[in-house]
Amino acid sequence: MRALIIDDEDLARAVVRQHLEPHPDVTVAAECANGFEALKAAAQHQPDLIFLDIQMPKLDGFEVLELLEAEGKRPAVIFVTAYDQHALRAFEAHAVDYLLKPFSKERFDAALAKARLLVAAQPAAPPPPAAELAAAARQGRPLERVVVKDGPKVTVIHLDRLDWVQAQDDYILLRTEGRNILKQQTLASLETQLDPARFIRIHRSYILNLDRLVRVEQDTKEHRDAVLRDGARLPVSRAGYQRLRELWEDA
Amino acid sequence: MHPLLVSRARLGTYLLGWVPIALLLAGIARSQGWNWLEATSLALPLCLLGALLFLGTWYLCRAMPLQNTADELATQAAAWGTAALLMGGLWAGLAWLLARMLTWLPGLGALPQRVKLALPVITGLGILLYLASVALSYLMLAQARALEAERKGAELQLLAQESELKALRAQLNPHFLFNSLNSLSALTAVDPVRAREMCVLLSEFLRRSLGLGERRLVALREELDLARAYLAIEQIRFGTRLRLDLKVEPATEPALLPTLLLQPLVENAIKHGIAALPDGGTLVLTSELVEGHVILRVENPRDPDAPTPQGLGLGLRQVRQRLLGRFGSRARFEATSLEEVHRVTLVFPLETEP
Repeated sequence: MRALIIDDEDLARAVVRQHLEPHPDVTVAAECANGFEALKAAAQHQPDLIFLDIQMPKLDGFEVLELLEAEGKRPAVIFVTAYDQHALRAFEAHAVDYLLKPFSKERFDAALAKARLLVAAQPAAPPPPAAELAAAARQGRPLERVVVKDGPKVTVIHLDRLDWVQAQDDYILLRTEGRNILKQQTLASLETQLDPARFIRIHRSYILNLDRLVRVEQDTKEHRDAVLRDGARLPVSRAGYQRLRELWEDA
Repeated sequence: MHPLLVSRARLGTYLLGWVPIALLLAGIARSQGWNWLEATSLALPLCLLGALLFLGTWYLCRAMPLQNTADELATQAAAWGTAALLMGGLWAGLAWLLARMLTWLPGLGALPQRVKLALPVITGLGILLYLASVALSYLMLAQARALEAERKGAELQLLAQESELKALRAQLNPHFLFNSLNSLSALTAVDPVRAREMCVLLSEFLRRSLGLGERRLVALREELDLARAYLAIEQIRFGTRLRLDLKVEPATEPALLPTLLLQPLVENAIKHGIAALPDGGTLVLTSELVEGHVILRVENPRDPDAPTPQGLGLGLRQVRQRLLGRFGSRARFEATSLEEVHRVTLVFPLETEP
């Protein structure tokens, strides 16, 4: 079984390595100190199992998993983290294992045994999408950034730099800093993760960053446009206008 | 408990307050042609009875707090007026009974006759005295309430301060603690000597931070010692990713400042600065003395791709609030987020332990 150890701290990777020593059937294909290295190593080694820290620079563990998923890879995952244990309890329902730092040999071996089973037999149910796990771990707190992989290039979009999002079939088009970036995701699934006080579904096909809105213009009786700071115009549906008005009335 | 009955001194003062009233009563009686013996032997026991009788007013007043609206006040005034009439009558009745009893004594045979004539005056005086006792009772109740409110306020403030410090102590973030223990877990196998070193550092850090949490003001030296212990641990965790540049002017070390003011700045610098950068960076901590003021600065590199923080986080807001709470306009708090550097500066007057 090929494994990757992904953690930004040398000593944290060392602990996992030490615990793997009595298990000769698991080879450590690579150790990665950040998410970008992890993506590269995953492409190169096709691991069966990854030990994944959650809080890392640039890309966090969930984002790494999401980007692997986008490439159709889904190795067995053991999260290894000092992250809030309450947040991670949600993972148990998803049959995803996690080790809370620091952990015992027994706990490590148990997690590894579970992972072995998962790798050997195809699981009855597919593992939950990384975005879903991330949302569970955030415990209701909204998303802060979106990651997109386009070939070898990874783009991290912080939400205050996101102007609007447009639905395009199975994809979403993200508008940020004058560029359009495509991502395979539905608008509805993104909408549920965004802060409803900052991002509004103004139309069946559009979510708008409220910060970019200057005014709403009524063109004809049935047709309204949102005018943005950069002068761009987006259509506003009747339901979208209603949502905007509710927000203004609350404010 | 009745405020006048809690101590002998108070009851004595109250009863002394009735002496002039007794004298007044006796004076009135004299002016009506009573002789001295008659006037004093009625006035003194009658006033003593009145004093004891009217003590009860306080309990009624406590049961009927003053109302706020005009309508309710009017109803209440009517009630008190009725009560005053009854009590005035009762007092006059007592005077008459007293006079009857005193006829047993030699020279007071004419007293009942005299009291009978003076009944309207005694009733009137009784009404006035009763109303005065109502006013006095309300006054005492209001004062007691004010004292209580003040005590509660002081208590709340104390609680707030305590919970604030408790919260700060709780800020010793579990993430740091567990990650450190995890590093320790790794070191025990590969480098027992360093593992022991880490144990000692961790204990020192915990002991210091627990000790600091008990106090409101500390010398900068102690805050710096805590920060050094903390940073030494983080250096083991982050290895070469964390570089330190500490420049402390010794003259600033005795400066007093609110407890655990520096620690959140250093923790932020690691958490949002160094830890968010794959290659880490240098944390700069300087402390200098300029014109009687300490300038304390913590600077760290930041990920230029991360959004510039809008406003201050909770930790920094608390630091600013506590700094300004202590020094007022004599202190300054500044947080700047440039493209690649984050810097927090505290300026405060050098004050040392006397």
